[in-house]
Amino acid sequence: MSEDHQRLLAKYEPKEIAVITAQPQVASAHFSPCGRYLCAGGYDRRVRRWDMTTDRPRELASLGGHDGWVEAIAFHGETLYSADTWGKLAAWKYTAAAPSPVWTVAQAHEGWIRQLAVSSDGQYLASCGRDQKIQIFRADNGEPVRQWFVGQDLFCVLFHPHTGQLVSGDLHGQVNIWELGSEDPVRTVDASVLFLQHRLQDVGGVRALAFDQAGKILTIGGTKPKNGGTVQGTPTLLVVDFESGELRNTLEIGGPADCFVHMVRHHDAGFLMAVTSGTPGNGRIVFQRPADAEPFYLNKNIPNCHSLSLHPDGNQIAVAATNRGSNGNGRPLNANGDYIGNYSPIHLLAFSDVAQSEQASRPTVSKSSTS
Amino acid sequence: MAFKQEVNMTNKFRCPQQEHQISRRRWLGTTVGTTVASWGLGGLIQPSVAESLRRDHKQVLFIWIDGGMSQLESWDPKPNTEFGGPFRSIPTSLPGVYISELLPQTAQIMHKLAVVRSLCTQDNSHSAGVGRIQRGDPKDRGVTYPYFGSAVANLLGPGESALPAYVWVKPGSGGFKHQDAGFLGPQYGALAFGDGQAPSNLSRPEAFDALDDQARNRLREAANRRYAQNRRRKVTDANTYVFDTAQTLMERSDLFDQSTFTRQELQRYGEHDLGRHMLVGRRMLEAGVRFVKVNSYGWDTHGDNFNGHASLMPRFDQAFSAIVRDLSERGMLENVLVIAMSEFGRTPRINGHIGRDHWPEAWSLAMAGCGLQSGVVAGATNPLGTWVKSEEYDIGHMFHTWFHALGIDARHREYVINGQPLPIAHEDCHAIKELLI
Repeated sequence: MSEDHQRLLAKYEPKEIAVITAQPQVASAHFSPCGRYLCAGGYDRRVRRWDMTTDRPRELASLGGHDGWVEAIAFHGETLYSADTWGKLAAWKYTAAAPSPVWTVAQAHEGWIRQLAVSSDGQYLASCGRDQKIQIFRADNGEPVRQWFVGQDLFCVLFHPHTGQLVSGDLHGQVNIWELGSEDPVRTVDASVLFLQHRLQDVGGVRALAFDQAGKILTIGGTKPKNGGTVQGTPTLLVVDFESGELRNTLEIGGPADCFVHMVRHHDAGFLMAVTSGTPGNGRIVFQRPADAEPFYLNKNIPNCHSLSLHPDGNQIAVAATNRGSNGNGRPLNANGDYIGNYSPIHLLAFSDVAQSEQASRPTVSKSSTS
Repeated sequence: MAFKQEVNMTNKFRCPQQEHQISRRRWLGTTVGTTVASWGLGGLIQPSVAESLRRDHKQVLFIWIDGGMSQLESWDPKPNTEFGGPFRSIPTSLPGVYISELLPQTAQIMHKLAVVRSLCTQDNSHSAGVGRIQRGDPKDRGVTYPYFGSAVANLLGPGESALPAYVWVKPGSGGFKHQDAGFLGPQYGALAFGDGQAPSNLSRPEAFDALDDQARNRLREAANRRYAQNRRRKVTDANTYVFDTAQTLMERSDLFDQSTFTRQELQRYGEHDLGRHMLVGRRMLEAGVRFVKVNSYGWDTHGDNFNGHASLMPRFDQAFSAIVRDLSERGMLENVLVIAMSEFGRTPRINGHIGRDHWPEAWSLAMAGCGLQSGVVAGATNPLGTWVKSEEYDIGHMFHTWFHALGIDARHREYVINGQPLPIAHEDCHAIKELLI
């Protein structure tokens, strides 16, 4: 390992400080902008919340009223936006003791809402869905501003941090950049290496998007699929110059069993943080600078990673995963003969220096479990 | 096990070495082209035959979804439950019955279908499950039972079309799948049309005119008769069958001409493998083939199950609903038994790859047509979809039901293999009465 990497590792190697157990599984877990809450959208129609200011994460009343899965969550200020796979969109004051929706749109999309994004000024909320549409709402009241049909199953939307442009990524590996006033993309980035038509199945697609702080680099995440069915593929990040659309680097951050990059974030210190999951038991957490050939941090001990959230203080991450031993063709039963489902360990990890001080000051914070 | 013993005996019918040499030389010298072409199609159907087919000829369309379609994302959705997944259920043309939102077109023809939601079978591996399901999972008697297609080909015969009794329209390569026939012998194997295409070298080479071809066939027939003299009937019948079938297929190359599908047909069935293959399957049924298997690969969604089914299911929905509608509108559904199934379903629990694994404990299949009630859902699972809560039906129950629907009495009819009577379906199972007319 180079000295440079050693220096980065010394500062940013994440150490586990606690684990929250969420059952049933959650799709993703996110720190709130204030850093006091961790919120997770789950497979059980609700958004779960934990108070992170206490010694042990303490679960609070969850946000209900959704159907299907809640995969899409976004924040602005004290508002949390959540969307489900049945097409419902809701806004909440997530700091309230028993939150009720500030507003809802019952049928924002025809079915599965894949992702939400809030403009940097907090004025607009964008959503995309399996119905191949992008919708823009006023963030304060949910009033629809406009919608347009893209023509592909859309996985991702993301606002540029400064220009107000919107970026979308679809199943066939096309990334479009939109001005909010136009239904024609300003430009398109080809990420079709992240897509494969295999037999009857459309496999892969753009699964993650992230900007660096300056908005100059756009990172596109997914997999280079080998096959459908039991999807296998190389987890891949495409690092693109946003202005020119030029591909700067392609980072293959795992083997075929590690499969999908589910989430990627740019750390202000100039490196990418990505999580992957693939064949159960595989998956990794990867920290790598965009121009580097190798990661400076690679964690293969936490399998099946589905989301990564960076705490606003920049010193801690939350990684939502699926438990080990999650798969199998048999009939898993507990002692009572009941069928056993899976759960999500949400791993809380602090960067090296912080972890040391955490351990010194908060010795009671270790593996904690709420369900 | 008399049959097994006989198989293991020294083979008195084996070819003498010199005969191989003679046959091979003659073969190469006289039947190049014709031999290869023998895997084509044949038998132009006269209108009167077609009418007869419509009236009496029972047929099967067996849609094999290889790898395991998820029952929760298809016929038995459990929305808003722990294992229900992200999708909604939608109402169907059958009041009170809901299926997955991924089957919107099929939902409109639910009144034509018969669905079983209480399958509980024995095998959770592909390697054993595919054969076990398609052979009806009979009691182990030390013999290899035929696949359902071979069984029907044997029990009902090819009919009057002179076309092969059991064809398989599949992605990838084709060929003759004699293994399907088990103890019935290779004659009852499946003739597979890879990508729905005609067997290679089906047409007579242009260098040979019809007279040459006839001369070669006469020579071949003579050689076949000689070959047959001291061999097992089962083997020589298969050999003769192959050439007869080939002759018929050569006359029916039109069955494989996919360029004649109309734009509208392709749009209705889908311009993907399954859509095109289903159209080829429809043609085969219309031409009188007794048993047509159409299959799709790639359904083993251990990973990314929900996005996988989000793209797989609409394509199945399109092709399946189109063929059922067409068979119905053409008055064929009365005599064509349509079955759509996999080797098992998929686990309720969702693994770390956001996939579902193999689940034979509680799953579903869909059927329509010949001998079956329409608009019926048999059996039920518990609210979480983990177990069957009504009577469990194994594949043996389905074989009894299908045979009954085709007019075959599975309680009394038997195969007789080398003097050994063998039940055609598992004798501990029975037909599902609520499914039958």
